[in-house]
Amino acid sequence: MSNQQPAAGIGMGPRSPISAYFHHHRQAARVSYGKLLQAPVSNFLTILVIGVALALPHLGISIATAVQGQIEQLDSPPQLSLLLDREVTFKEAERIRDQVLRKPGIAEVKLVDREAALADFTAATGLESLVQRMNSNPLPHSLWVYPKANVRTAGLEQLQIDLAALNGVSQVILDSRWLKRLNAFTDLLRTTGYVLFFVMALGVVLTLGNTLRLGIEARRDEIVVIKLIGGGNAFARRPFLYTGLFTGALGGVMASLLSGFALMALNAPVNRLFELYDQVPAVPSLVPSDLLLLILMGAVLGLISAWYSAQLHLTRIQPR
Amino acid sequence: MDVVFNRVGKRFGQRDALADLSFELQSGEMAFLTGRSGAGKSTLLRLLLLLERASSGDIAVGGTPLSKIKPSGIARYRRDFGVVFQDHQLLSDRSVYHNVALPLEIAGFTQRDIDRRVRAALDKVGLLDRERANPDTLSGGEQQRVGIARAVVARPKILIADEPTGNLDPQLSAEIMGLFSAFNSVGVTVIVASHDLALISRMSHRILTLDKGSLITVGDLQRGQH
Repeated sequence: MSNQQPAAGIGMGPRSPISAYFHHHRQAARVSYGKLLQAPVSNFLTILVIGVALALPHLGISIATAVQGQIEQLDSPPQLSLLLDREVTFKEAERIRDQVLRKPGIAEVKLVDREAALADFTAATGLESLVQRMNSNPLPHSLWVYPKANVRTAGLEQLQIDLAALNGVSQVILDSRWLKRLNAFTDLLRTTGYVLFFVMALGVVLTLGNTLRLGIEARRDEIVVIKLIGGGNAFARRPFLYTGLFTGALGGVMASLLSGFALMALNAPVNRLFELYDQVPAVPSLVPSDLLLLILMGAVLGLISAWYSAQLHLTRIQPR
Repeated sequence: MDVVFNRVGKRFGQRDALADLSFELQSGEMAFLTGRSGAGKSTLLRLLLLLERASSGDIAVGGTPLSKIKPSGIARYRRDFGVVFQDHQLLSDRSVYHNVALPLEIAGFTQRDIDRRVRAALDKVGLLDRERANPDTLSGGEQQRVGIARAVVARPKILIADEPTGNLDPQLSAEIMGLFSAFNSVGVTVIVASHDLALISRMSHRILTLDKGSLITVGDLQRGQH
């Protein structure tokens, strides 16, 4: 052993508290990064779980938003069919047509003569012999009403009520059920996406929290020593917070990749769906803001998991 | 930094680990705590490190009553102490250098200062050439010397050692005790708990003997007071 005097009083002493605080953060970040690289497989699996948990709700919300955006842009609102009373003559039908045309929000009204309708029916169905056996034409005169493009679902429903109140009108059929269904479906998809997000977020917090708990247990000896030689809970907690932050953020990157690939795969079916409605498809794709949002969400969830886990387990570890 | 115990008691359930304990250590003094296993040596050190709170009486360190220190202030309070354990408590995922550097990192020293202090401390305990080694590859005596280097590297005001020579042969034990004396000679208050009376009898420092939680003798071997 050396005969020198003890190593007391060497150097300039500790940094200022603020400088030490930032130095500890840099150090904790470096240590956490190193620990992530030390166990690449298990950490990759954790990141994959977070990625899937974030990608699923993101996909649902993205598709619902894109589809609803398309619905909003539908050029031709649905048509209303007015079936007139069977006693209404063609002349009276023309009068009702003029009456309807004067109403606000109506772009065009087409009068369909009941004889022409029967001829169309016969041609379309091939039931000529059956039609010939009938004593009279069972079809009424009818009006096809085309509302203006700016009339939306609520306006259409009011229009339906107004038209049904006209004299000589037997029934008004609003051909918008498909639109309502699609709207309801996309609403459901979006709501499911949000619910899924909260459930998955809770899953991420619990999964990552448990992974970090195992990390805390594995480093119990180190934590005990740190506490014995003057390191507080904050010092011991910091590396775990960075581990949570990095794992969560990488989970966000993973979610972006998974979402991006899934949206590419969904491109063709979504295109086909909108082509059915003569729409120019606007297939959802991963935009930079989504990428940032997923990474941010992952990082925040990771940080929350780490905080919750550290609060729960780290404070229980005390020197004996 | 002086240490004052005034009628201190510590109770675990129905058992008194320490009872009505009073003594005073002056700043820069070195004292040995002796007594059989279970006499209360470790409990006394735990009270001093605030790992436990006293059930009765008062303890003051450097004039500060420990009862006034809140849980949030315990970590900062412990930075005035250097602690040497019987089982070394070294971290096997870090090198000798980084084990010794840990208290300095916690205290926020600059890297330059850490380098200088760690090397000086390792030099003092004769392990400068093993700074890159993993603690697991060292002998028991070397591990204990690393533990001592870690305990003194941040220049503590009080050095506490709990059975520091428990697993070491007599020659190594004497070397370790020599190190404590050397640190004491530069003004560090040193408290060593040990039941190795043969070893203690060769040291000329104050002795506190505990039996069943009570202080039975306070003596000074140098002055022959027993």
